[in-house]
Amino acid sequence: MPAERKLMRYGHSEGHTDVCFEDTGRYIVTCGSDGDVRIWEGLDDDDPKSINVGERAYSLALKDGKLVTALSNNTVQLHTFPEGDPDGILTRFTTSANHVTFNSNGSQIAAASGDFMIKIVEVSDSSHQKTLRGHQAPVLSVAFDPKDEFLASASCDGSVAVWNIEDQVQVISWNVLQKSNDVSNSKSLCRLSWQPISGKLLAVPVDRLVQLYERASWSLVSSLSDDFITQAVNVVAWSPCGKYLAAGSVGGFLTVWDVETEQCIEREKHERGYTVCGICWHPSGGQIAYTDTEGCLGLLDNVTDSSLFASKKDKVVAAKKESKYEDLFDEDDDGHFMDDLSVKPTSGTDDDDDDIMPSAARRQKSGTFDDDDDDDTPIDAALKMDKDVVGLPPAVPAVPQQIYEGPMPTRPQKPFQPGSTPTHLIHRFMVWNSVGIVRGYNDEQDNAIDVEFHDTSIHHAMHLTNSLGHILADLSREAVLLACEGTDELASKLQCLHFSSWDTNKEWIVDLPKDEDVQAVCLGQGWGAAATSARLIRIFSIGGVQKEIFSLPGPIVCMAGHGEQLFIVFHRGTGFDGDQSLGVQLFQLVQKRMQVICGEPLPLSCKSYLSWMGFTAEGTPCYVDSDGVLRMLNRCLGNTWTPVCNTQENCKGKSDHYWVVGVHEIPQQLRCIPCKGSRFPPTLPRPAVVILPFKLPLCQTATEKGSLEEQYWRSLLFHNHFDFQLSSGYEIDEEQRCKGQKEQQELLMKMFALSCKLEREFRCVELAELMTQNVVTLAIRYASRSHRMALAQRLGDLALEKTVAEQEDSEHTGYPGTWKKTRCNQSESECEEVQQLGSYREQEVMQEGCLEEQDEQEQMNIQEIGKPGLNLFNKDISHDTLSPKPSSKDGRVNPFKVSSSKAPATFVPSRMTNILDSMTASCKRSSSGVFSGGKAGKDAILKPLAPRPKSKTQTTLLKISGPKARKKEMEKESTEEEGHASQGASAQHSVNIKPKTGFQLWLEENRSSLLAENPDLEETDIIKEAMGHFRTLTAEDRLSWAERAKGQTGEVPDVKKRARVEDNDDFRNDKESNTKKKKTIDTSKLSAFAFNKN
Amino acid sequence: MDPSEVEFLAEKEMVTIISNFSLDKMYLIGGDLGPFNPGLPVNVPLWLALNLKQRQKCRIVPPEWMDVEKLEEIREQERKEETFTPIPNPHYMELTKLLLNHASDNIPKADEIRTLVKDIWDTRVAKLRLSADSFISQLEAHAKLDNLTLMEINTTRTFLLDSLNSMYKLRASLQPQPAAKGHHY
Repeated sequence: MPAERKLMRYGHSEGHTDVCFEDTGRYIVTCGSDGDVRIWEGLDDDDPKSINVGERAYSLALKDGKLVTALSNNTVQLHTFPEGDPDGILTRFTTSANHVTFNSNGSQIAAASGDFMIKIVEVSDSSHQKTLRGHQAPVLSVAFDPKDEFLASASCDGSVAVWNIEDQVQVISWNVLQKSNDVSNSKSLCRLSWQPISGKLLAVPVDRLVQLYERASWSLVSSLSDDFITQAVNVVAWSPCGKYLAAGSVGGFLTVWDVETEQCIEREKHERGYTVCGICWHPSGGQIAYTDTEGCLGLLDNVTDSSLFASKKDKVVAAKKESKYEDLFDEDDDGHFMDDLSVKPTSGTDDDDDDIMPSAARRQKSGTFDDDDDDDTPIDAALKMDKDVVGLPPAVPAVPQQIYEGPMPTRPQKPFQPGSTPTHLIHRFMVWNSVGIVRGYNDEQDNAIDVEFHDTSIHHAMHLTNSLGHILADLSREAVLLACEGTDELASKLQCLHFSSWDTNKEWIVDLPKDEDVQAVCLGQGWGAAATSARLIRIFSIGGVQKEIFSLPGPIVCMAGHGEQLFIVFHRGTGFDGDQSLGVQLFQLVQKRMQVICGEPLPLSCKSYLSWMGFTAEGTPCYVDSDGVLRMLNRCLGNTWTPVCNTQENCKGKSDHYWVVGVHEIPQQLRCIPCKGSRFPPTLPRPAVVILPFKLPLCQTATEKGSLEEQYWRSLLFHNHFDFQLSSGYEIDEEQRCKGQKEQQELLMKMFALSCKLEREFRCVELAELMTQNVVTLAIRYASRSHRMALAQRLGDLALEKTVAEQEDSEHTGYPGTWKKTRCNQSESECEEVQQLGSYREQEVMQEGCLEEQDEQEQMNIQEIGKPGLNLFNKDISHDTLSPKPSSKDGRVNPFKVSSSKAPATFVPSRMTNILDSMTASCKRSSSGVFSGGKAGKDAILKPLAPRPKSKTQTTLLKISGPKARKKEMEKESTEEEGHASQGASAQHSVNIKPKTGFQLWLEENRSSLLAENPDLEETDIIKEAMGHFRTLTAEDRLSWAERAKGQTGEVPDVKKRARVEDNDDFRNDKESNTKKKKTIDTSKLSAFAFNKN
Repeated sequence: MDPSEVEFLAEKEMVTIISNFSLDKMYLIGGDLGPFNPGLPVNVPLWLALNLKQRQKCRIVPPEWMDVEKLEEIREQERKEETFTPIPNPHYMELTKLLLNHASDNIPKADEIRTLVKDIWDTRVAKLRLSADSFISQLEAHAKLDNLTLMEINTTRTFLLDSLNSMYKLRASLQPQPAAKGHHY
């Protein structure tokens, strides 16, 4: 039965600490050298209640709602529990008190002090003070006999003494410890412990052993030892059943012995090897809480047989319930009742209890044997224990029928606002999101709300008095929505500060119906929503018009809004064993008015709860659970949730967390606030935002393959929102989209190259299936270069399929806008892709070896053609047209900016193409990175697109869609004209991005006459015809047309001229391609490969 | 060199600010700055930070070392050691002065920090004077001083050089006599 060591967590500042459980075991209470007592509701409690009791607290004891602490200011103080109000000073010493402990019924305390004295005091009125004198040095610890007859103490003089409480005399003393002059110099704290209930044995930590002394005879019965304990044992504690003994040592070892067999049944090493200075058992056993000298708190779970303790726990609960009714019966009745309870199982034959029975019975027996003067029957003894030891589990097993061993329901988590800190704090964040911060103050002087905007251009900061007691808030670029819960007299209210309103009324308040409380609020664009305790979602317009109202399937947990979307998480049912059972709904409110996700379960990490939810700035729903996992909606895979980041992986300590405040998809940023030792930040000092990267939890991301795969899928996931925005009619940033697609294709190509290297040809084909057609051609080229003909063959087939599919696609797709866009993206990005090939190839240079000279030349030519092609239709090729244009606010061109577009032009003459290729490529990339950075701020605002597709193509796509049509014509023409000759796909692409040629000009002029001649001709036929005519012209004529074309396009640099020459070459369509052409038209080899199969 | 010139150099030090406006990357001769996103920390040179701060366009995040505990530690270290201890920033004095003068509302415990930095400064300058004194009184030809900041050197440079010069002159006028003596031998 391995014990489960829970991770340590920060509890107090460094120094001595002590720990104990509350009687019911619900709370762990610790004290430390920072003078605080903290009350933890379990180890995971991130917001323990803190009571300051003094400068330093050395020891604490807790019983019946009384908290006693031994402090450095020479006093032993009493506080109420759990309120933590000071309840007086119990006793004083002349130096600090070292240890304090309750007697079994909690009526007295004993305190040990550095002035050699031990004092015993009545807790109720600090009367009947008894002082035990006799130690020659500071007293280390004291322990009450459970029968209140004796008191044991250990002192720095090396002695462990047992005192008769009544007579205040030493009964016996052993000189077993090492002497020292003060507690701080003592090797061990030597916390003693009596066996509970019977008090038969006294455990004394002596160096590396734990000695057990028998009551009355005071002889050493046994010594418990363990080879692993290398340093002195510091503290010991008996399990509540008295069967086990736990010890914590200076070296950080926790050891549990079965006392009867003297076997060590459990040993755990402290995770950092710090000295354990406080140890205590859960009142129902099974758990050990411990603290170390560094102020950390730890928990050891399932220490002993869990089934045994499971039943015991239930028994405790049962016993507790009984004790509530105790007052109704007199003592005897109660006794008989208990009697019945305890007798029954002894005759029972239930299997479950078989392993419990013998030990329990045995222990009862032994208990009676050594109590010589005690003539009670075993059962009476057990009863007596029950009465004496409140809250301790009785040794008798529970009645079998009462045991429930199924899964335990989890307490459903409370509703919360994303980005808020707990409501009970005096200074808290009511919301922190990507728009701003709303802080709530609720101290004596002021009950106020501060609203602050990250971007002061939205609105100036506001300070409001919070007379209504708002506890919920949400903030958008338009308004602040506040809500308070109702009281007896006042209804729950919703208040909206609509600061962006253009009229003078910037505020409205709505009262909710009686007995209906607002539990969560959120703001979208032009609307706000409130979820109430009546399980209703009420939608309001931002100006205060009541709109839709609908019922929730369960209690609300959290809500978030963005644009038109409303994202709701609610309880679908009861979760079990620590899990929450949450459901999620996603609505499109304003235009489409539909439910996108209908109450499906929300996936959470094991035993965690929802801790943040919201939208990315681009409008994709996402959420974080208490395990720090950020999941994002994947709209492309049936609205599934993909984990994209584990914030906990970035934390240094286990009790550190990241408090998420915003998620951005472009650039990929998870904005959050690091919180040391807690789950949320304090308002002061003002926390700083940090940015975490995203990482999909794919396998083996340390390898190159894994990391490329991770990047690819992440890139894909984080560009999903473009499709969504497009489909819901928002303007999208084409540039970003292109960049994303380019990045993905690039990654695919890298993976392809890697798989090629690893001789994984099947995998290569799989990867090629993900590529766009253009990249597949590159892949083919790559494969043929590396002499993988079989692969190239397959890829060729694949490319063909893709082309066919694409054509079909283009014929069938209803919205030409999207199609065109993707097409033009491809063509636009293609040139760069071609360049990129250079860098892929760089990896392969070694393999390739010789035939490079010519290839490089070709590479260069591609670049030459491609580069001007990018901005051909901008009429001139000065760098201004490419440099950051609309976003630079005043439209001025920054003279200092390193212009990326200049780079290629200067590179043209060079022959070092491989290196230059990658250089220009990276230049490109960085320049587009610039755009992304600048746009980031504005991305957050959704721009609805009124008459979208048409105007779009006309404005922004003009330069691309214009040539598009012509390109198509050209394509057809050239394919027909040239048959299946060497000018393949890539050649066409280089054509389609060219300026008007002489032929085109000629065609424009002569089209009408052509049409007149052949009125029944199709468009393509016209061109065909025209081509024929054009060819019949003399060379001079053609040249003059070409000159005119040149004049039209303005001053063209060399590169362009070359492009035009190439044009003419195309049209001339020489059967035998001359060498010059070979040099200029780069793609011949590749395209020949791709299309020879036709 | 004028102290203001040293200060000018110090203004090139990078500090973190949290802007409350949105702006694209800026392309300057000295390098690119930004992009500025409201609410997100960004590193900018001190001169820009102060400029933005004065226009209430940003909040300055105090440098890591500008913290009472850390400065106390440095001060203790400085007092304990005979030599100059390494200082967290080569322009600590200028940074402190500029930041505290213009952005004291963004720096917690500004007054304490001012005192602490002044203490450190005083300690170091006292050391400097002491070492200069012993340098001169022991007639040393050269000395090595590590971890001095520009501002500290600047405080003593002119004075020390001038005094060395005049001492040289004085000594040189003394020199001929022993030289003449040598001649006699």
